[in-house]
Amino acid sequence: MTSERNEEIEKMDAVLRAIGGAVPDPGLEGRILHRLAAARASAETGTAPLVPGRRVPRFVGPLAGFASAGLMCGVIVVGSVRHSHEHRAGEPAAPPVLQIQRGGVGAASAVRPADPGTAAPLPASPAARGGATHRTAQRGRARIARQTKKAPGVTVPVPARAGSPQQ
Amino acid sequence: MSAFEGQLAGWMTPARVAKSVDKSQTIAQLVAEYSTTLYRVAFSVTRNAAEAEDAVQETFLRVLKHESRLDEVRDYRVWLVRIVWNIVLDRKRRAKTRPENEDIADHARALPSKDRAADATVISNEEQARILSLIEKLPRREREALLLSAVQELTTGEIAAMLGTTESSIRSRIFRARREMAVLLEKEGIQR
Repeated sequence: MTSERNEEIEKMDAVLRAIGGAVPDPGLEGRILHRLAAARASAETGTAPLVPGRRVPRFVGPLAGFASAGLMCGVIVVGSVRHSHEHRAGEPAAPPVLQIQRGGVGAASAVRPADPGTAAPLPASPAARGGATHRTAQRGRARIARQTKKAPGVTVPVPARAGSPQQ
Repeated sequence: MSAFEGQLAGWMTPARVAKSVDKSQTIAQLVAEYSTTLYRVAFSVTRNAAEAEDAVQETFLRVLKHESRLDEVRDYRVWLVRIVWNIVLDRKRRAKTRPENEDIADHARALPSKDRAADATVISNEEQARILSLIEKLPRREREALLLSAVQELTTGEIAAMLGTTESSIRSRIFRARREMAVLLEKEGIQR
């Protein structure tokens, strides 16, 4: 394990030596001096900047950014003020009055009051009362159990017995 | 004040040197003396011969732009290395969006000819690429210290002056980088 680790470290050192001891292509100095001479000549004639890739001063970019941001802010402010002035021209000077329905129960009725013609309570239909109260008698007769307590004065039909004459 | 002028101001002596020198001659001497060192520093970041050379050329173009203040510079080597270092780091930041263009053939070519035969038997191009990709995983400060320490001509003191820290800090960064690399290489060896 340790020998492998040492081997890897040696490889890393070899790579670092390779980088740190890199040799440029022959003639590097000559190429640099040639480029410097060309840059000096063009700077004297004013045809090109000394440092390539920087044709405008460094502060121009941020300055342009700030200027455009300020311009946009100004446009937004002026536009909104102008819009609000145009909007108020056709309206009364007083602020709008909120109409509140006093007869309503809650916020929903205040916002959308009910029509007085439809506000009166309506009796619910048998179907709307629910299944517990809507019962149909079987074969036209109601069935009442014997143990049902009846109110005083109410007659209870006696079930027909076998052999008794039909009514 | 631009970044370059800031660098320039940082390396100026407070009192100007009285002697007058021929500026073009001075720049030519700087090119002769430091171009290889600057190339190596640039190559440690770019790992591309053409980009490294371009960075060195841009460094001297910046020197030319400020040649009137050359005699105020205290330490030319550190000053130039700092300029080229900032140039290559700036380019690398800009190139983050585009794919990495490491040229493995450049790694082989980068090896000095007298060392090439010896090291070529030990390490292949693929292994170089693998180790370099692991170096890229190191934290920035440790990676920078490790790469700069690899440049033969730079001492720890010069690296410290360049990065604006102390020698002991540079030494500890290099130590941490090597320790972290050992761990990464070991993990990589297990996974392979």
